[in-house]
Amino acid sequence: MTAVTAVTDHTDHADHTGDDSPEDGTSGQGSSENGRPEGSRSPEGSRSEADSPEAFATEAADGEPAAGEAATEAPMESVTKAQPEGEAEAEAEAETEAAAEAETEAEDAERAQKVTFDAAHVGAHTRVKDDTGHTRVKTDDACARAESETAWDDGLIARRVSETTTGQEAQAPSLALETKTAVQAPPLPLAYDGPLRSRLDALRELVGLSRTRLDSGTLAEASRVLDEAAARRKLSGEHTVVAIAGATGSGKSQLFNALAGVAISETGMRRPTTAAPIACSWSDGAATLIDRLGIPGRLRRRPLQSPEAEAQLRGLVLVDLPDHDSAAVQHRQQVDRILALVDAVIWVVDPEKYADAMLHERYLRPMAGHAEVTFVVLNQVDRLPGEAADLVLDDLRRLLDDDGIALGEYGEPGATVMALSALTGDGIGELRESLGQFLAERGAAARRISADLDAAAMRLRPVYSTGRRTGLSEEARDEFADRLADAVGATAAGQAAERAWRRNANRACGTPWLRLWRWVQDRGDSTTGRLSVREPADEEATARQRVEQAVRTVADRAARGLPAPWAQAVREAAVRGAQGLPEALDEMATRATTPAGRPPRPGWWPAAVLAQASMTILQIIGGLWLLGQIIGFMAPNLGVPVLLMLAGIIGGPAVEWGSRMAARGPARRYGLEAERRLREAAAGCGRARVLDPVAAELLRYREVREQYGRVTGASAPVG
Amino acid sequence: MLQKASKIGHSSHVVTLDVRPQLLDALSALRDRVAAARFPLPLAGAPRARANRDELLAQLDDYLVPRLREPEAPLLAVIGGSTGAGKSTLVNSLVGRRVSEAGVLRPTTRTPVLVCHPEDHHWFSGMRVLPDLTRVWVPHQEPGDDLQALMERGERVLRIETADTLPRGLALLDAPDIDSLVADNRVLAAELICAADIWVMVTTAARYADAVPWHLLRTAKEHKATLVTVLDRVPHQVVSEVSRQYGALLTKAGLGEVPRFTVPELPESAWGGGLLPATAVAPLRTWLVHQTQDHGSRHAAMARTAQGVLDSLKARMPELAGAAAAQYAAALRLTAAVDGAYDSEHTRVKGRLQTGAVLSGDALKRWRAYPLDCTAGELLDSLVESLAALLLCAVTAADERVDDAWRREPASGAPGLTDRDPTLESAEHRIGMSVRRWRRVLEEYAEDEVGRLDKSVASDAEVVAALVATALLGGHRARNAGEGLAERLGAHGALRLRERGGRLLAEYLDRALHTERERRLAPLDALDVHPESQAELIAALSVLQKER
Repeated sequence: MTAVTAVTDHTDHADHTGDDSPEDGTSGQGSSENGRPEGSRSPEGSRSEADSPEAFATEAADGEPAAGEAATEAPMESVTKAQPEGEAEAEAEAETEAAAEAETEAEDAERAQKVTFDAAHVGAHTRVKDDTGHTRVKTDDACARAESETAWDDGLIARRVSETTTGQEAQAPSLALETKTAVQAPPLPLAYDGPLRSRLDALRELVGLSRTRLDSGTLAEASRVLDEAAARRKLSGEHTVVAIAGATGSGKSQLFNALAGVAISETGMRRPTTAAPIACSWSDGAATLIDRLGIPGRLRRRPLQSPEAEAQLRGLVLVDLPDHDSAAVQHRQQVDRILALVDAVIWVVDPEKYADAMLHERYLRPMAGHAEVTFVVLNQVDRLPGEAADLVLDDLRRLLDDDGIALGEYGEPGATVMALSALTGDGIGELRESLGQFLAERGAAARRISADLDAAAMRLRPVYSTGRRTGLSEEARDEFADRLADAVGATAAGQAAERAWRRNANRACGTPWLRLWRWVQDRGDSTTGRLSVREPADEEATARQRVEQAVRTVADRAARGLPAPWAQAVREAAVRGAQGLPEALDEMATRATTPAGRPPRPGWWPAAVLAQASMTILQIIGGLWLLGQIIGFMAPNLGVPVLLMLAGIIGGPAVEWGSRMAARGPARRYGLEAERRLREAAAGCGRARVLDPVAAELLRYREVREQYGRVTGASAPVG
Repeated sequence: MLQKASKIGHSSHVVTLDVRPQLLDALSALRDRVAAARFPLPLAGAPRARANRDELLAQLDDYLVPRLREPEAPLLAVIGGSTGAGKSTLVNSLVGRRVSEAGVLRPTTRTPVLVCHPEDHHWFSGMRVLPDLTRVWVPHQEPGDDLQALMERGERVLRIETADTLPRGLALLDAPDIDSLVADNRVLAAELICAADIWVMVTTAARYADAVPWHLLRTAKEHKATLVTVLDRVPHQVVSEVSRQYGALLTKAGLGEVPRFTVPELPESAWGGGLLPATAVAPLRTWLVHQTQDHGSRHAAMARTAQGVLDSLKARMPELAGAAAAQYAAALRLTAAVDGAYDSEHTRVKGRLQTGAVLSGDALKRWRAYPLDCTAGELLDSLVESLAALLLCAVTAADERVDDAWRREPASGAPGLTDRDPTLESAEHRIGMSVRRWRRVLEEYAEDEVGRLDKSVASDAEVVAALVATALLGGHRARNAGEGLAERLGAHGALRLRERGGRLLAEYLDRALHTERERRLAPLDALDVHPESQAELIAALSVLQKER
């Protein structure tokens, strides 16, 4: 075992496979692999530094790696490589030490043929990987960074390599070949699994879409999460940064020292003891991670070099924080800063302080979503007599439950709660064990980011979702059109047109005597109405106030049920569209009313006029006849002329009445037509200028809402 | 007592220990002012001001007024501190038997317990101090069902215990945690501490650097209360070191002269809820007894705290007054926003009336058709409708501006200010009513004018009304209406009618907009934020200062 830990991570990996039976290989087992051998310490000296493998394989934590599949994948392209690979695995089950040798043997064999060496590594990693694993190959740090940035966006490389894993294995060695120059390989960067990545992408897009609508303060949290996710992703995925936080005097430093095995952090009765965070990393390659925490080099330590501990807590970066509740305010600031950056937190409480309001209200409650990356340990149980420790632990569980923190009991995901005493070492082993298991899963960073994402999404909820139906109903649109029609006076115009038409018809079909009388009348006085008709077309024919009101109403309707910023945007769009709408309506109204010219005449009109004329002629003939008789010019015959005259006198009004009745229908049609024309023109104007921009804004909101749904993971799309 | 008072009269720093009715009057007047102060607008400082007011009220009711009224009442020492500091254990040990429950589960003490000598019982059984708390007197240890029942009803309870072991003239009060997870406990603890003659602050070796207790210590210092600190649960191997460091912190905070007692953590009693041996608490007990028995120090302790509270009023009352002033200023800003919006809309409406905006759309079409294709009645109808639309538009625009302005005001978050019901429909209704009323009055005017004319040339009153409405509302567009009117009524009559109608219009316009403005301001007025409360607070303070 000592040899194993001393040599390489390969052996470490073998150690893992030894732990978990390969038949049901879980995703946690060797989820990502550090290919950094320490050549000088290698017992066989089988590897020179130049041979350091630079091919790394990462994998998404999802998927269902079946050992059988993995094994079939392992022999990638050459039998020579596949053979020792299989051996190594077989022996790993039996004995880890032998496995180390087997693997080094395999490596020797591989080194003989240069190509296969790295391929073997790829193979070795893919073996424990799920079949859809996103294998990524890196050259050096800078390259890795660039690559991870590109991969971040579209996962192209991941896709390509997963193709490689499933089908075209031949590509793997060539990819690996490119990468065999670096002396000391940097640790493997973190990889997020598919859903998380797509949620992060969705959040990025969401932030981009919302920038113009929301102030930066609202988006700050989301941007911070994105930045942190991106920053964390570039850093080692093999390390898990765990902070030890707690109140003053709870024994954080003592626990830190107990885990490290040496007195790294100063402990004492003086309160507050620890003033600055101290980091301790169990394996190399965590420097950049610790840099991110802003812990200076003089505060970085290594644990006691004990192979056993190293194997168990491999990849652990432990950070001892100052207290969060002392009178020293800068301590609290430091704690807040670092807590936002670490992957997991161990909250240390003690029997005296476990119910402090500060701890629960300021930290645990807001971080309830981070339960999966939270440990709560009750320290100083040695100060509690007998069963009191259990009582306190139960009470602590109850309080955590009240805080909304899921407790990781009965195998459910959640916070780990345990009692221990850093002073006596009671329970430290258990903590170490569960920490070791936690570290082996290597999911902490992703889970933390995921929890951050959840929290940010939850906080953004009010600006993206109100849980009410949104959109512009058909009635609202119709009502808007009606209001605009009112504004241009469509009804009145229609009515006026109808009446005018009927008036003209009556005049045309009226008895000539009536027309004559009217003409005489009109010549006499000039009524006001006449003058107003002569008035030039007014430049403000549209009722401004009605347009304004219509726009406001429709905007309010559209904005109903929208979160405030989007409602504001809808209103603004409506107001912007409404600028110039009255002028456009003015113009439209003049255009829609003028072209009519002379109103169309119905076909029966000439006949009516003819009938009217004939009636008049009858009257005239009857009259003349009578006159003739009176003068004695003609033979007296009263009957016929009187009859003729009577027919003319009665027939004229009768024809007039008949044609008036007949004109009613066409007049109404004409009026309705005029109204409809105006109404439709107005509605078209309103639609183009107001409704369309509003609808576009609503569409944008809907898009954002969908994006938000994607962020919350409600409807996480594939890929 | 008189004798006692005269005796202390000689000691230089004791001033307020005889009963002084004027001072009490001034104090109760001030108390009423404080109780009347309201901070309804959600400004940044409002929660703090509310808390300050409650605290001040509690201190006046629970401590200062009863103390000044009855200086001979027993001294009340309130044991306060963080959760788990061992307050209950300390009280039990001082009394010598288990009066307050102690345990390992936090928070332990949810019901405050007051312990006094049986003969002092009458001082506390009444509502002299802590009038908000229901008294429960449990003779022995059983935790009584009625207590549970009271607790369940949400009533706040004070348990009173008597013990012969306490000297007369001293009462101990075991308060809940000052940093309890249960928010009510925190409030109660603060209130209880305000009622104390002697503040006993308990902290522990693990906690002496905690922020929360230090806040309390600083408050005690500000209030110049008689303060004593107990450093509890100190492991014996580090007693001297911790004690020294704690002393250094106290000195640094300017509390160096505060009596300090150290109680070691004793394994046999610390967690079981048992009693500490008498020797462990002997110095504290002696000190407390000394404070009670020795007249000089008793009065010194009492006077110091009372004086401290009175002194603190000098700073706290202006703070409250300042908050009241801020409330008023915010209310004023909100009102100004409404006034500004309605004023500018009023101006706009007037301007639009002048340009004849009412005579547009439907009304304009009718007017153009009049009289050939449109009757006077129809014209009048559409004009009235158009006028209502103009007014409604102005009101909604004003409301929108108010909303905009208020959105930037934190004070507008007060309930009922912004989340008003969709009053638009009713506004439409009200405006419609008022416009129709205007029309009716205008028609009456027109009838009047027509009636004055000779019957022979009398024209239809409705036509006259329509014409005058057009002339009034149509601005320059309706010049012809004016001409027509003059034709019908004569130049004089037309002018008179137009003038009267115009005055009527302006009146109705003002009234309609004013009504809407008042409706908008009504919820704000209902909050009753007025400038007097600031002045009253300051005045009450100055009266008190004069009395001292």
